[in-house]
Amino acid sequence: MVSRIGTFVATFALSLVTTSMGLARDPVEADFYEIVSIQTSKTLQNSRDTSWKPAPNDLALEVSGIAVLDEDRVAVTIRKGEIWILKGVFDDPPENVEYQPFASGLHEPLGLLWHDDAFYTVQRSELTRIRDRDHDGTADEYRTVAKGWGVTGHYHEYAYGPKLDREGNLWLTLNIGLGLKGEQLTRTVTDPTLGVSQGRWRGWGMKVTPEGTLVPVAAGMRSPAGIGMNRQGDMFYTDQQGNWVATNTLHHLREGVFYHHPEALASMGQPQSPIAGITAVPDGLPYPEALKRLPQMRPPAVWFPYKKAGQSPTDIMLDASGGKFGPFDGQLFVGEFTLASIQRVFLEQVDGEYQGAVFPFRRGLDSAVLRLGQGDDGSVLVGLSNRGWSSLGTASYGLQRLVWSGRTPFEIQEMRATAEGFELRFTEPVDPESASDPNSYQFSSYTYLYHANYGSDEIQREGLEITAAQVSKDLRHVRLTVPGRRELYVHELVASGVRNSQGTPLLHPEAYYTLNKIPR
Amino acid sequence: MNLPRIVGGATLVAALVVGWPLHGETPDSAFVAGFERFARHAEIEPVLAGRLLLTELNCTACHRSSEASLQPSGGPRLDGAGNRLQTAWVREFLANPQRVKPGTRMPDMLATLDGPERAEAIDALAAFLASQQRAYPEFKASGARPLPHEFWMKGNVERGRELYHQVGCVACHAPDPDYRGGGGQPSTMAKLLATLDPEEIEDLGLAAAVRPVQSVPHPKLAEKYTHRSLMAFLADPESVRAGGRMPNLKLDLIEATDIAAYLLADSLPASGELPASGELPAASEDALVAKGRELFGSLSCVNCHATADPPPATHARPLEALQPDAASSCLAEATAGMPRFSLDALQVESMAAAVSALQDAPRVTPSGPSQASESETNAERLPLTLLQQNCLACHERDGLGGVGPERQSYFETVAHTDLGDEGRLPPPLDHVGRKLKRDWLAKVFAGSGDLRPHMQARMPRFPAAVVKHLPQAFLEADAPDPPQEVPQLSAAEGLVEAGRRLLDTGCVQCHPLRGESLMGAVGVDLLGVTDRVQPEWFHAFLRNPAALKNRTRMPSFFHEGKSTNPDILDGDVDAQIAAIWMYLKNLKTARLPDKIEEARSQQFELIPESRPILIRTFMQTAGPHAIAVGFPEQVHYAFDAETLRLAEAWRGRFLDAYGTWFVRSAPAAEPLGEDLVSMPPGFPFAVLPDAGAPWPKPDAASPEFLGYEFDAAGVPTFRYRIASFEIDDRIEATADQGLKRVVAVRAVTRDTQAEVSKQAQAQEPSGQLWFRVHAGRALTASETRCSEPGGVAVRVSRGVQRTPTPPELQDHGDLREWRIRVGAGERLEVEYQW
Repeated sequence: MVSRIGTFVATFALSLVTTSMGLARDPVEADFYEIVSIQTSKTLQNSRDTSWKPAPNDLALEVSGIAVLDEDRVAVTIRKGEIWILKGVFDDPPENVEYQPFASGLHEPLGLLWHDDAFYTVQRSELTRIRDRDHDGTADEYRTVAKGWGVTGHYHEYAYGPKLDREGNLWLTLNIGLGLKGEQLTRTVTDPTLGVSQGRWRGWGMKVTPEGTLVPVAAGMRSPAGIGMNRQGDMFYTDQQGNWVATNTLHHLREGVFYHHPEALASMGQPQSPIAGITAVPDGLPYPEALKRLPQMRPPAVWFPYKKAGQSPTDIMLDASGGKFGPFDGQLFVGEFTLASIQRVFLEQVDGEYQGAVFPFRRGLDSAVLRLGQGDDGSVLVGLSNRGWSSLGTASYGLQRLVWSGRTPFEIQEMRATAEGFELRFTEPVDPESASDPNSYQFSSYTYLYHANYGSDEIQREGLEITAAQVSKDLRHVRLTVPGRRELYVHELVASGVRNSQGTPLLHPEAYYTLNKIPR
Repeated sequence: MNLPRIVGGATLVAALVVGWPLHGETPDSAFVAGFERFARHAEIEPVLAGRLLLTELNCTACHRSSEASLQPSGGPRLDGAGNRLQTAWVREFLANPQRVKPGTRMPDMLATLDGPERAEAIDALAAFLASQQRAYPEFKASGARPLPHEFWMKGNVERGRELYHQVGCVACHAPDPDYRGGGGQPSTMAKLLATLDPEEIEDLGLAAAVRPVQSVPHPKLAEKYTHRSLMAFLADPESVRAGGRMPNLKLDLIEATDIAAYLLADSLPASGELPASGELPAASEDALVAKGRELFGSLSCVNCHATADPPPATHARPLEALQPDAASSCLAEATAGMPRFSLDALQVESMAAAVSALQDAPRVTPSGPSQASESETNAERLPLTLLQQNCLACHERDGLGGVGPERQSYFETVAHTDLGDEGRLPPPLDHVGRKLKRDWLAKVFAGSGDLRPHMQARMPRFPAAVVKHLPQAFLEADAPDPPQEVPQLSAAEGLVEAGRRLLDTGCVQCHPLRGESLMGAVGVDLLGVTDRVQPEWFHAFLRNPAALKNRTRMPSFFHEGKSTNPDILDGDVDAQIAAIWMYLKNLKTARLPDKIEEARSQQFELIPESRPILIRTFMQTAGPHAIAVGFPEQVHYAFDAETLRLAEAWRGRFLDAYGTWFVRSAPAAEPLGEDLVSMPPGFPFAVLPDAGAPWPKPDAASPEFLGYEFDAAGVPTFRYRIASFEIDDRIEATADQGLKRVVAVRAVTRDTQAEVSKQAQAQEPSGQLWFRVHAGRALTASETRCSEPGGVAVRVSRGVQRTPTPPELQDHGDLREWRIRVGAGERLEVEYQW
């Protein structure tokens, strides 16, 4: 009997020790941003399995578009082709969410917008406006707003959007098809000089004017799964690593620009094309060199180094909450498919061109993050679906919500390029001793190969010395003097030595700044 | 009482709570799982127990034996010790293996050295091991392989805890007393045992069934490993322990990271990397490393552990030549140069018995191991292999082993589906050599025989070298004696279809077939079963499942040798089983049983019941802009929203949406029903300069699709625009199994005109609007009806009468066209029959 009690006491004591150690640990993401599950699939199936199925009797909530309607209702598209209206998603906990079917029969809609009292969604072959004219709660009018891009029947020809700009244009992006064959090839256009064939406007960003005209804007996208507008009203898109795309990217979306995937140039000769005159595409050069050879190509505003800043970016969401989502108001949040996470992006303009840094933000969603939408309360709805690829997490699909706890994480809030190096702004006052020690920071720079292969390693990597770290009076800014920076290279910072006034390290010491231009 | 031996965990868990020493147990002698579990309780013969120790304690690494089954298990490879193991731990372990890792199988190799010598040897060996650096394999991320940057630092402790308790780690290693996830159901037997007192259990011979199984000890992992090195070890144990005693549980890198994070959760700073070299000044290091290397050879470390640049090995007297009763040996009173093992009396006696037995009946001629296989059959090797690889930790065979009673509650089904013990516990291995085919067994041991998606526990993968004899060993050991007559399974006509019907009468209730199943059915998919299972066993098992598998949930469909389906194959049981076999043999391509087809259609078939159903998809004929519309009248059509053509129609079942909804490759949807007919080609409207003008080429017309609207009945009306006309096009099924189409033409008003794109305006032709009602090579027409032999017949009438102008039949090349002029404000009704 004595020994039994002994065992029990020892166990109890051990758990006490564990708990007290737990309190002393460094902060983790969950301390600042809580993940609330509204609905997730009950089991994780192999999402690449050809016989993938949703759980029996489950609403396959593979959220592919989010439109927040008001403080209680949210509409979502799901990949099987439906629009649902969800009530009660912002309840805490969300125990009584109501699901109302609104529209069906759509072909893999990958975006949703509520605009002028109607839903807008991009299906595989068109932009559609959907309304309930008789107000019985379900849609009865599916109006084709724009179509005319090529659809060869290849699965990879996803079409994303729409997102609205300030002029009332609806933006959409079109995936490139991969390895078209047979009948698919009869539905292509060809650029004879470059010898590339794709469906019309495949690999392009398009806008649809308020009058309903489909306008090709920019070319060279591979898998542009995310579109978004920043606070200044400029449009951006994300692209995914693959052939011609060295690693994931964020680009400023504007007229006449070529990004990277040359097969999009199959439509260069089409009437309305704002791009002309590309007769050769370099293959196998370091990216800065390739830019010189191909002046129409514009560098990404931000490179997302592979794995470090995700493996496959998706939606772009401006934090317009005015601080209700934490200290990052006005910044962009980017969904991440494979790693079931979200990144954060700070952008600035140097000589009129965007560039900036990507930071890790939150891991641990239950499945691939496909769509983001901000509620009136500042919290972020996260639409999940990993079908067809793979992702971390324990579910195949679902809807979750990311809620700021009210505690401020110690983070690099902003990272700006300066004439001498970089200026960091922190979310909290720093400990001046650690923050002024150059050894608290590690810098390196690298670039990628521009080539037809799938992805690229980081090349021409160099370590950079920090010669000075100057802390501002308000303890919120540090100016780093960093000789040897290279324009167009990614500058990777790991500020693992910096502490705040409580001695806590940064929640994420990493920042990846794409230094297209050094300010003068 | 006929009480089987495996019991569920409830009683034992209850017993544990009151203090059976499962957790915190500290073995004070070398721990060999099979020995502790079976030899200690006289459940295996001392000779077998001794042979187990000879290999597991690596006696035969020095005292070599030519017997194949006595090859040493080997120690961990140390060629990566420098960047995988913490040097401080290595030093402490060398100094006192049994104290640092109670139960370790490593003897004290320095036991006979005196104090200073011993300290110097530890310095040198530690320096040598620190110099052993092996790069980690490159873990490449891809779309199929999510892998965060420095993922090994980002483990999820909670997930790791779950995995550790679910995938099978706790079959051997200690569960966490605080883990609350183990919700496995107590078995009927456990409930029964709970009603018995210990004496009754003893009397019934059930002591082994309730005895807790001691855990294979860990060292203090946080002191030994880093997150990265433990992750790498868990993900690929064979890369360190070639003997496969720690088998590969097929963890992906994230799972391995999570389990490592859990196992290291109590460690203080989570260091990801070790410094690339030891802690000693570089100048003295080279000499020290060299000395360590020399000691690594002279102390015989090298006999068990692989390193880079290994020193030469020397071996001691062969096993068969040892004197078990010598006054001084590794087993007792070790003298200079001998390791000191931590053994107790029973272990020493067992090993002595095994060596004596070898000497009494030498199996192998001195000419060497090449003859080993001749002298020892695979079947004879089997009992020792099962102990060496600890197969018995999970599997019961011949009354030995199986998941320990107090551990069974951790073995769960996915989503807690109640499938009885056979759905959650690893299967017993009794007569497995009679059941499974050799190739399939080999696949299972190689780690690619996973069949039970409902089971959380995983069958591990073993190194090829240690299991290569096992398939044959099971086959030999379990061969029926005398050989059984295998019922002739002929491929007679109709057998496959009979089998298909037979499956519907029961099998489909639990078994999926090539991924399709009844709602809620959870079991082993029968696809490929005829490649896995021997026909003789299959036949016997179907006749009487319980005779071959205790407490199986598989019911008998041939109770007392009679079929429950007397109408099929005259109720002949052998013929029916043969039919099931033949059907399963053809399952890859055969039609599925009706019940499964029904279940599938309930989930994915679109069945218009009271209202039409519309779905946009890819279709072969209607193209990548297809809109398929199904009607309750069982007449359906597909509209091509690119060319704006009614493309095809069919009757019967409508469409299976699975491919459209859920398949990544986005296959074209196919009409499910029958009477499929192609509709007249091309966009049916054109603005023509005169009545006889040729119909424009498909890409010359530029109609604009405007979408569709549903009316109150749920019938869609498509709307499109050509030139200055807007057309409403409503197509619905009719009671007489045809289609009725109503076409209404409007002139584009000033307002809508503004919406017409500039492009359309620029190309706007002039002339009158024509509707090509039909087109074909062999059309015949009356005033209101036009038909193509073997094709569709079209009847047209004007809804709103103006000047009656009947359609005209015209020949254009080899195409006959039946055209009618239409104008703004007009409405045409068209009926299609086929």
